[in-house]
Amino acid sequence: MKILVCIKQVGNEGEINRFDVHALEEALGLKDQLSARLSKSVTVDVATVGPPEASKIIKRAFGMGADRGYHIVTEDPEYVSSFVTATRLAVVAKKIPYNLILTGIMSTDMMAGQTGPMLATILGLPCATAVIKTSLPTSDNLIEIERELENGFRDCLEIQLPAVLTIQAGINTPRYPCLSKMLAVSQKKIASLTEADLFPEPIEAREIYIGLEQPEKTRSGRELKGSLSDKAEQLFGLLKEKDLI
Amino acid sequence: MKQILVIAEIFAGQIRPITWELAAAARKIKNSPPLKQLPPAIHIIVPADNPTTLSEKIAKQTGIDVIGLQIPELKTYTSEIYIYCLEQLTKKMNPSHILIAHTSQGQDFAPGLALGLDAASIPGVNGIRSDENGLIYSRPAFNNTRNMIVRPTSNRPVVLTLMPGIFKQDGRKGGKPGQVDIRKISFAPAACGKERIQHRRTMRKVCENQALKEAKVIVAAGRGIKGKEDLKAVFNFAQYFPAAAIGASRPLVDMNWIGYQQQIGMTGATVAPKLYIACGISGSSQHLAGMKDAEFVVAINKNPEAPIFRHSDICITADVLEFIQAFLEASG
Ligand SMILES: Cc1cc2nc3c(=O)[nH]c(=O)nc-3n(C[C@H](O)[C@H](O)[C@H](O)COP(=O)(O)OP(=O)(O)OC[C@H]3O[C@@H](n4cnc5c(N)ncnc54)[C@H](O)[C@@H]3O)c2cc1C
Repeated sequence: MKILVCIKQVGNEGEINRFDVHALEEALGLKDQLSARLSKSVTVDVATVGPPEASKIIKRAFGMGADRGYHIVTEDPEYVSSFVTATRLAVVAKKIPYNLILTGIMSTDMMAGQTGPMLATILGLPCATAVIKTSLPTSDNLIEIERELENGFRDCLEIQLPAVLTIQAGINTPRYPCLSKMLAVSQKKIASLTEADLFPEPIEAREIYIGLEQPEKTRSGRELKGSLSDKAEQLFGLLKEKDLI
Repeated sequence: MKQILVIAEIFAGQIRPITWELAAAARKIKNSPPLKQLPPAIHIIVPADNPTTLSEKIAKQTGIDVIGLQIPELKTYTSEIYIYCLEQLTKKMNPSHILIAHTSQGQDFAPGLALGLDAASIPGVNGIRSDENGLIYSRPAFNNTRNMIVRPTSNRPVVLTLMPGIFKQDGRKGGKPGQVDIRKISFAPAACGKERIQHRRTMRKVCENQALKEAKVIVAAGRGIKGKEDLKAVFNFAQYFPAAAIGASRPLVDMNWIGYQQQIGMTGATVAPKLYIACGISGSSQHLAGMKDAEFVVAINKNPEAPIFRHSDICITADVLEFIQAFLEASG
């Protein structure tokens, strides 16, 4: 069984998007269980699209137990259309017939949640988002999952593999990367692919980025001033006045 | 003529209220300055195995023409059936905009549908306005600290998923109902022939927490609480208020520090207490979805830039544990 996990660097250098960490843990958990119980050979590869520094997150993934890493090196401006990212990842995903492809439910910077489902569409695979539970695949071509809906509801689905799943937080507790594993991996195991080699013609984005702005205020937002105890006393007075204490 | 298409949200055979918000947003787009000259038509699409009753209800409530998309195989929602059948229907309709709810269901099928139609795709839209080049859309980014403004590249249709609770339904009462047209499309993809996603069952993990719903005061803890032991301070704080309940942001529930019954937000409980005190909660759109109707909101956060402060009546910039201690001392 071959699993691919798509991960992204967000925030500080070397930091993996927190939902992707859950996706990687889920893959590694499946690997542990499948190899222990069914003595099946499972590989977990990771792929990322990002600037040169993003190779750090692949090393971190190695530290958690990933087997191989692919890095599509890009020099992007601040906004990248999910369609462009999915198209790039599809190149890696097509290299090997993966049985299962996992991503986080969304990245905390772009917050779009589209890369996984778009990757599935490009590859012609079924996809489920917001996955909160997976069961061991009963065979190489079937997996049972639960996806999260609103108000505590869940849908239980049986999906034919290969498939793409986007993973929701709460599904597992990610392991910490093991330093010795991180150090033991040589740079060689990261396959770097350059954008220009893969796509002689640039992929056309479907949205144009205009800019960022401050979100609107929905309430007055009165700020309490002074020392800690001043603030505490003011709040006490305010709540008393409103008859809430 | 160009078309604005709304995909009604149907769950367990019922119309989800966000459908009315989508209809309101469709009207807003239709009447916007860039489209006013040549206003597109609006259609609401209702996918179901037997869409007639639902379609009539929606046509009556909105006054908008409805297409009941009859899919015999559709017993329960799956992304596979939705994407295939909606693509078959909509690609012949010359859509300019396709409006979908930014919910667990909408987010599941919108990206695939967008690719199938070679459309732009803008998820989580929380604002629609226009500039000299046409309509532009805002959506949350960077952990909700910023809105990102984007537009589709020209001449492409755009698939938008709309944040719930933003586009208020336009209180239409009476009036002429829209027309209902039923069209049947079977799920029969050439590539695989049969369903690869089988829906087994829908279950409910836990039921709504009545105590939380009825509480006058909710003291809610977020990731600003650094350790499980520190939750005690929040419990002590809550005890200070009569009839107070404890709430939490999702990460605390995910880490098993507190039960799901306490989770507030899009995937937790929706509450409207008289007083909501957010302790170390950043104010993500998913959390706000559950508490935005609270009467009075107090936020304690050490980061003066925290998004929660934009949605609070009282903002207290402080370390949450230190503030709680100071409050308990001040109140004697
Ligand atoms: C599909 C989906 C559904 C979701 N549903 C929900 C939901 O129902 N409910 C929900 O809550 N979330 C939900 N989330 C998660 C949501 O996106 C956020 O990740 C979450 O709300 C963040 O929780 P938080 O504010 O506690 O943590 P963070 O965003 O990490 O914020 C912690 C805050 O604490 C502050 N802080 C840190 N230290 C201190 C200190 N010592 N004193 C004071 N303040 C401090 C920080 O400045 C920060 O603002 C969902 C996500 C997805 C993708």
